Amino acid sequence: MFPPRQDVLRLMPEIILSLSGILLMLIEPFLSGARRTLIVTLAALGSGLALVSTIYPATLPGTAFSGLLRIDGFSVFVHVVVEAVAFLVIIGSADYLDREKIQHGEYYALVLFATVGMCVMAGAAELMTAFVGLETSSISTYILAGYRRDVPRSNESAMKYFLLGSFATAFFLYGIALLYGATGTTQLARMTFPTTPGRERLLDLGLGLMLVGLAFKIAAAPFQLWTPDVYEGAPTPVTALMASGPKAAAFALLLRILATVGAAGTFWFWALWVSAALTMFVGNLAAIAQSNVKRMLAYSSISHAGYILVALAAAAASDQVELGVAAVLYYLAVYALMKLGAFIFVSQLGGESERHMEIDDFRGLAVRQPVAAACFALFLLSLLGLPVTSGFLGKFYIFNAALASRLIWLAVLLAINTVIAAFYYLRVIVVMYMRQPNQTWPPAPMPWAVTFVLSIAAAGTFYLGLFPGRVMALATQAALSLPGR
Amino acid sequence: MSGNLAQAYAPLLIHLLVALGLSAILLILSSLIGQHRPTREKMQPYECGITPVGDAREPFDVKFYLVAMVFILFDVEAVFLYPWAYVFRELRWFGFTEMLLYILILLAGYVYLWKKGALDWNPSKTQRDRQT
Amino acid sequence: MNDTIARSILVVSLVKVVVLLFLVLTAVAYLVWFERKVAAHIQGRWGPYRVGPHGLLQPLADGVKFLLKEDATPAGVDRFLYFSAPLLTMTLAISAIAMIPFGPASIHIFGIATPLVIANISVGLLAIFAITSVGVYGVALGGWSSNSKYSLLGGLRSSAQMISYELSLTLSVVGILLLAGTFNLSELIMRQDGYTWGHLPKWNLLNPTFPQILGFFCYFVAAIAETNRAPFDLAEAESELVAGYHTEYSSFKFAMFFLGEYASMITVACLASILFLGGWLSPFPQTPGLDWTRYLPAGVLAVAGVALIIHGVRYINVFGRIALPVLGVILGALSFLCSQPGVIDDIQGPFWFLAKVLFVLFVYVWVRWTLPRFRYDQLMRFGWKVLFPVALLNVILTSLAVVMRK
Repeated sequence: MFPPRQDVLRLMPEIILSLSGILLMLIEPFLSGARRTLIVTLAALGSGLALVSTIYPATLPGTAFSGLLRIDGFSVFVHVVVEAVAFLVIIGSADYLDREKIQHGEYYALVLFATVGMCVMAGAAELMTAFVGLETSSISTYILAGYRRDVPRSNESAMKYFLLGSFATAFFLYGIALLYGATGTTQLARMTFPTTPGRERLLDLGLGLMLVGLAFKIAAAPFQLWTPDVYEGAPTPVTALMASGPKAAAFALLLRILATVGAAGTFWFWALWVSAALTMFVGNLAAIAQSNVKRMLAYSSISHAGYILVALAAAAASDQVELGVAAVLYYLAVYALMKLGAFIFVSQLGGESERHMEIDDFRGLAVRQPVAAACFALFLLSLLGLPVTSGFLGKFYIFNAALASRLIWLAVLLAINTVIAAFYYLRVIVVMYMRQPNQTWPPAPMPWAVTFVLSIAAAGTFYLGLFPGRVMALATQAALSLPGR
Repeated sequence: MSGNLAQAYAPLLIHLLVALGLSAILLILSSLIGQHRPTREKMQPYECGITPVGDAREPFDVKFYLVAMVFILFDVEAVFLYPWAYVFRELRWFGFTEMLLYILILLAGYVYLWKKGALDWNPSKTQRDRQT
Repeated sequence: MNDTIARSILVVSLVKVVVLLFLVLTAVAYLVWFERKVAAHIQGRWGPYRVGPHGLLQPLADGVKFLLKEDATPAGVDRFLYFSAPLLTMTLAISAIAMIPFGPASIHIFGIATPLVIANISVGLLAIFAITSVGVYGVALGGWSSNSKYSLLGGLRSSAQMISYELSLTLSVVGILLLAGTFNLSELIMRQDGYTWGHLPKWNLLNPTFPQILGFFCYFVAAIAETNRAPFDLAEAESELVAGYHTEYSSFKFAMFFLGEYASMITVACLASILFLGGWLSPFPQTPGLDWTRYLPAGVLAVAGVALIIHGVRYINVFGRIALPVLGVILGALSFLCSQPGVIDDIQGPFWFLAKVLFVLFVYVWVRWTLPRFRYDQLMRFGWKVLFPVALLNVILTSLAVVMRK
């Protein structure tokens, strides 16, 4: 009757994350005074251990807990991405929280809980489990978005995210209900396709609703409206988390559903096609008009969701699913690293109460903080997709997948968008390198924790840009491990 | 089965309807029989004999919401305990350990709430400072 | 289902419902009288004495008075909610009793044997909790719709209190479920049949696996708070809140809240006797040495009847000198009836059940007139920091005991 030992081992990362989160919540009220070191160490240790313990699910693939979870290469890949993001965000947040005087254990506990939710989403082989994961990660991020309680913008961000997010999860849940009605099971692997005409329509409707719910989570057009306000209002390290972690998890869930229920066919494909094209344009065109760097990065993350959707559409269209899926996974890893680095840098530069977020504030930064500025420039170039950086290879794989699936038009749109994006990314770099330094305020020196996070992100961006072999092999393996149609 | 179900629940429905009817009749009867001599003062809400100040539909203490939220959390726990208790004899040690784990996790939340002062109606000064 | 059977079930249950509601409302009215009498004697007074002998007609007079009083609806109330609050409170309070079984025997109505319960459903306990927990809406809506600050505060306080204690109430019963494994109230009573060491009844309070003493404590305290009774009557703390959530209610609308409170008391007492005190089971095993206890119902009635006659003939006024002995004679006749072979077995269940209910009700009243009222922060602290952990502890200990025993 007890769960077998392997099942527990396969769930090890989630267990470690949950326990360390609970432990943090428990000790928080008992601490007073000098607590920062203990809390941050515990949180970092928890997420780091979880990252290390991913070795168990990696070596023990299979289903766990009577088929609720499916541990395969795919889920392990996403696990690693999500846990690494959590680890870096935790370390990168410490100084920011100190500066804003919101250094609490709850913050880290919420980050850990959100990560648990994302991990569950990545491994869910059953729709209710997926929903529980989605809710766990969403609710934690709602709270995190409003973590600067005294700042109206932060409250606005949390409220918007919460209200719209609840709608989205409701859509998702209705989709599950309809899918259950159509197929008689919530187990993805056991779903068989109804042949009765009425049921078929039910299936399409259910899938459509689920797509809407997930499209909200990944900020795909036309469900991206919340993104700029929420990303801008949330504390910047939280934005870093929101932009990289939940997006990866939601894409993973979408992929898994797509891979198993993909036989629904053209419906999915066209939905993804239109959404991808729209998302890229909406994100990039709006980003041009921004003067606030944080907001600009928010729009840029919308456009990146569009790029990944191109790969998804490619996976949905062709017989070689793994090409598209591998491209998605690779891009998710790449994107998480560079976006995280960019946001963490902005959070440090913004200074107290995030005052310095305008492009103007970045004037001549290369003179005053050459290394940090170089890092930021690297992330921006990678986001743009310049060769040598990881963003280039990520986009290359997406192109590759799109062309292999003969999605010529989508590939062309992707190219056009890269050109549009160049405009606003390069503008920031130009301001940093070619203008006189802003004399009104000195940027604070980089604390070692932020430096650590930035260097990891930069190193990762280089590594993934220069030596894609290993990670791409893993991504392909992961893609192949997805249960096919 | 459905016949049995209807047999079991129909009386309850009848009882509810009769009770509702009885209450409604009493309510109507009293407003028909009772006298009505409204005056302006009599129709004012009671406020210690003075003219009421302002409206009563004002925002109230957020603590009430807190109690409601905490209640929901733990009531869900209680709701889970019911079906568990029903089949407990079959689950045996498995059921016991699983539920103990569940209760322990919730207890962690309970300890947190306690230490944070969420369960105190008038938190002491130190707790108020520590509340975030 | 056959049409004629359906119709006969309908008719039978309608008759039962009407009879039960009549009995419940009478019981509620006399519970008020009972409480006033007990309170008076605790405080060294006489209590109601004027209307009828020993004030026995007082409830009737009260009822008539409530009906005739001016029905004042203050300006600015939300009319729909204002009227639905008392309606809801009373309807729910007198509905929960539908699931209570009063005895094991069946009665015959129009030749159809039917048990002494209106709705013998498999999830009776859940249904009772479902119905009673909706009662908080009556309080909250009544308090809010009145447009009075006292009402609003009273309603809010009372709702917060009721939901806080509802937690312990629901948890306190889980121990019983663990021991019995059923939600059906009749089955719950059956499971308590038998005697430990031949004499000690296996009531859940004294269950040999794990006595539900903690559970009973939690249940009883939480139930007192649930019904907004002293020492937890913060909702109507007259020294601070005038009359709490029903400050603005007059005439029969007020009476409905009142009836609701007392009807809930009866439900709670019934449930306490079913869950913890063995319901209709006799505390005495029917062994040769103790089978005389079968005559206890008849004996009690006879003693009461004789006492009434002796006391009645010397009563201070003529009406009492006639009414009380007549009552005594009726009780004597009932006593004779209860000792007849055909009836004596059927009367055991209801007798013991009612005796236990009356005992619980007496404790209820006794507590009210003995203990001072809690302060609101003390109340919340007690509910959350004492009662809730104790109830949870009871659940864990009981489950451990059950799992170890098997």
